[in-house]
Amino acid sequence: MSHTFIAIILIILAPFLGGLVYGLERVIRARMQRRIGPPVLQPFYDFLKLADKRRMVVHSAHAFLGIMHFVSLWYALGVFLLGGDLILVIFLHLLYTALIILAGYSTRSIFSHLGANRTALSIIAYEPVLILIAVSMYMITGSFEASAAFHHPQPLLYKMPLAFVALLLVLPIKLKKSPFDVAEAHQEVTGGVELEFSGIYYEAVYTAKWLDYIFSYTLVYLFAGSNILLGIGLMLFTFIYLNALDNATARVNYKQMLRFSLGVSFSLAFINLLINSLS
Amino acid sequence: MKLATYRKKSPWILHYNAGGCNGCDIEILACLAPKYDIERFGMINTGNPKQSDILLVTGPVTKRSRERLVEIYAQMPEPKVVVACGACASTGGVFRGMYNCEGGVDQFIPVDVYVCGCGTRPEQIIDGVVQALAILEQKNKDMEASVRLNTQPIAEDEQLNRRHVAASITPTPTV
Amino acid sequence: MESLLAGLVGLPLAVSLLLLILPRQLAKWMVIAAAIILSILSVFAYANTNSAVGITLPHYINEVVAGADLLLLLFFGWIAIKRKSILVGLLTMLQLGGLVYLLNNMPATAAPQLMVDELSAFMFILINVISGIIAIYSLRYIEEEPCSPFRKKYFLSIIFWFIGAMNLVVCADNLEYFFLFFELTTLASFLLISFRQDAESRANAITALWMNQVGGLAILGAIFFLLRSGSGEASFSNLLALAPAGGLLLPLALLSMAALIKGAQLPFSSWLLGAMVAPTPVSALLHSSTMVKIAPFMILRLSPALKDTPLASAIIALTAFVFIAAAVGALAQDNFKRILAHSTIALLALMIMMGALGTPVTVVASLALMLFHGISKSMLFLNAGILERVFHLKNTSDMDRLGESGPFTALVTTIGFMSLLLPPFGAFIGKWLSIETLGSYAVDARLLGAFTLIAVVCGSAVLTLLYTKVIGLLIARSGEHDRVQFEKTGKTYTGTIYALLALIALSIFGLPLLLTHFFAPVAAAASAQDVTVMIKGWSIFVDTMKLPVLPPLIAFFLLPAAIIAAMFIHFRHVDRTREYMCGEKVNYSFSSFYLTADKATPYAITIGVVLFGALLVAALI
Repeated sequence: MSHTFIAIILIILAPFLGGLVYGLERVIRARMQRRIGPPVLQPFYDFLKLADKRRMVVHSAHAFLGIMHFVSLWYALGVFLLGGDLILVIFLHLLYTALIILAGYSTRSIFSHLGANRTALSIIAYEPVLILIAVSMYMITGSFEASAAFHHPQPLLYKMPLAFVALLLVLPIKLKKSPFDVAEAHQEVTGGVELEFSGIYYEAVYTAKWLDYIFSYTLVYLFAGSNILLGIGLMLFTFIYLNALDNATARVNYKQMLRFSLGVSFSLAFINLLINSLS
Repeated sequence: MKLATYRKKSPWILHYNAGGCNGCDIEILACLAPKYDIERFGMINTGNPKQSDILLVTGPVTKRSRERLVEIYAQMPEPKVVVACGACASTGGVFRGMYNCEGGVDQFIPVDVYVCGCGTRPEQIIDGVVQALAILEQKNKDMEASVRLNTQPIAEDEQLNRRHVAASITPTPTV
Repeated sequence: MESLLAGLVGLPLAVSLLLLILPRQLAKWMVIAAAIILSILSVFAYANTNSAVGITLPHYINEVVAGADLLLLLFFGWIAIKRKSILVGLLTMLQLGGLVYLLNNMPATAAPQLMVDELSAFMFILINVISGIIAIYSLRYIEEEPCSPFRKKYFLSIIFWFIGAMNLVVCADNLEYFFLFFELTTLASFLLISFRQDAESRANAITALWMNQVGGLAILGAIFFLLRSGSGEASFSNLLALAPAGGLLLPLALLSMAALIKGAQLPFSSWLLGAMVAPTPVSALLHSSTMVKIAPFMILRLSPALKDTPLASAIIALTAFVFIAAAVGALAQDNFKRILAHSTIALLALMIMMGALGTPVTVVASLALMLFHGISKSMLFLNAGILERVFHLKNTSDMDRLGESGPFTALVTTIGFMSLLLPPFGAFIGKWLSIETLGSYAVDARLLGAFTLIAVVCGSAVLTLLYTKVIGLLIARSGEHDRVQFEKTGKTYTGTIYALLALIALSIFGLPLLLTHFFAPVAAAASAQDVTVMIKGWSIFVDTMKLPVLPPLIAFFLLPAAIIAAMFIHFRHVDRTREYMCGEKVNYSFSSFYLTADKATPYAITIGVVLFGALLVAALI
């Protein structure tokens, strides 16, 4: 019962925790560059500021899809944290990303379209790897439920190290970090799909990014099974790794990203799956 | 603590070069780099008018860039402030009166802070932006005072009158 | 049962004849009445089927069937001469030779020639309800076709003939009968594809003809090998009864080949893609309820025999490859109907794969996919027809203004695509069941399972990308709308679309009930094992697999409902602004992206041929 309780608390606090992770990330990234960086609570200042801005939309459908993107992501995260079916969670996760892609397509903005196309391609890059990881977990735990992985006595990491490496390689795509941040690509496509959102409507997309952090770190945590300490260690490691990678690498183009992800990450996850199925 | 005090802590910057020599732009980028680290004020260079609060304009306004400047300014949601960076953006600088130049930024959009120098120093830019934050907060309060922005716009800004001044200036006939 | 079957077969054939004679106005009402009666009859047939019922026809029918076989082949021969097609001629000669040989050597049996079981009854519903709607739709569609009044009647007549032939195919037990009905559907599709009588339709019709004739030849081969093995009569029930003994893999392989060809799997996919030249109701008919659905039907019929054989592995490998190849192929298309055609091939591959796996869960998944795919695809094709006739749009990249000029069509097309993609629509549940089963299959079958899983996973991701791309075009608009006003496309068009919308709504809200009371008994009969589908609390248990109900149900309100709402929603007290174009004030028109996969096509076909060869090799070893 206590697990459910913790999960519910986590779900409710998810946007706050995600914001905190994002704030810490900005600080850590600044420190890595020998800067002071913004305060840890900076994302929340941004949040409050955005609420005050004048409300402007391109058209209602676009703004509405952005809001639903946030809501459905929160929902997918909820299903995940409550130990729902992993395949369903990954599908839901895929589809909530589809909502923001649709929002991008619904306007007549070049950069929105470019960003939507690139987001769609990044889905192709990371989604198969996530499903392979889910199936590898199924082979070990015997159930597609995420709760089975949460309660698995032995850390899954020992049996699927390659899958963990594959996850580490696709997480930058998902979180839009260098070198795989083509979907957002700061000045190159001025934020991609996020471009046309402003004020309180951008807030939804901005907060959805925070939720994405929680989603990704929960995926990392899955590898620790019921070992909480290892789980925290893995999350910390991933956190440092992601920021170091973000600081140290330059953006690759989408073709290189697809080739790398489907070539290397996917193969790693697949080899892991084969080893699991043969042993 | 009032939530309102946090509002000026997250100014997002849009940087627009209206036709300058790139000197000031380099300085602006230097502000973002580790040495000056403008991000400690929570500033981000967004490159996107729809999510920005501060418009940093460099260079004199050329005839080609005039409409783009106004369009970008119009796409920024209120409250917003404009900082003219450098001599050219403030007055037209050395390009003033040239056949392809329209002069300073303030002829087309209201400017809140003028930063001098050719090119401006990063310290000056930071100083200008920090001053702009005070104006941003004031505008924020103005906005709160009005029930709705649509029905009750911000109190008449003195800067706006410069438009009339600008309109009355007749271009010098070319010889 | 006999009378119901007589109605299901006799009525379409009678209507088909009457349509040619009766005046137009009367014909119209007759089509509508026939469509409704057929739907009701099919539901009755399902309700009255509790077990397999064999129907023994009088002896003279055998002679009639033999005669009809010969007549049909003679007709094919005539086509071959008329169109100067050596391939069709050669295949006809081979078929004729095989048939004459078999007719002389066929042992006389008193076994029932037709057999109606739950699977047939399921197919009756699928065929008659959806084809009926398409028939009504084509009343209006064919009115606008530039052709003589007689050919318009002729078109409707063939559609009903097609329905009659399909009803026969799914209840044939005797393989000789099955061959005739199989070839009757081939003939009907040939006539429909060549309906427009231009050079392209004729060429594509000939392609469809010879490819399906290869399938017919495979059936004759299956009969031949079955008889030669000395295991008695050539019928499905006999084949299934003998299957556990083994040694019957060759006939099974040939029958599966016939199925795969009918299901337009690579390398035989070009006939279905070529069928696009026909009037759109034909495509709707071929893709959703008739013709290609023979493929999963045959595989499901044979699934108890196929299960766990090397042959099943070969079929799974082939369909896994086809699934991903067709999905990528769909992404390379711009033409709306071609996109639909490729996604049909991909989903058919999934259905066939699930049928070949043959476990209770997969059979349920296969059935669910068959029904829901039928509904969604017919809906999409009917919309394709409307887009073509009313809006003069054929390519997706031109559709970015459809949301403004035709909001209703854009809305229902979006719903059609969403029903193939999003939870809790049936197709999503089917895919979900597939992936979860393949996970356990990967544990058992090792390498093949893992590869199949990869193909399905990547294919699903590509299909998601494809559907998102098209939906994105459909909901695009250039600015704010004040009030959405639906366009009027005509009563017949709107009526049929509403009927299909109702079916889609049924598939969402009735899904738990459909699973327990509709798919489970059919799956039990088809896979010859117990299929338990239970609803316990907020979960549905399909055999050992647990499907939570609540998460997909909530997802319905978040995903499909949100996309539909986005088309209507209008925020007030919010200012509107222009899109960011770097300060420019230019209006851009956006098309959509598509890949070029032309280079890959020959490789895909080669791999398809190799895998088809593997099918036979698997049977021989």
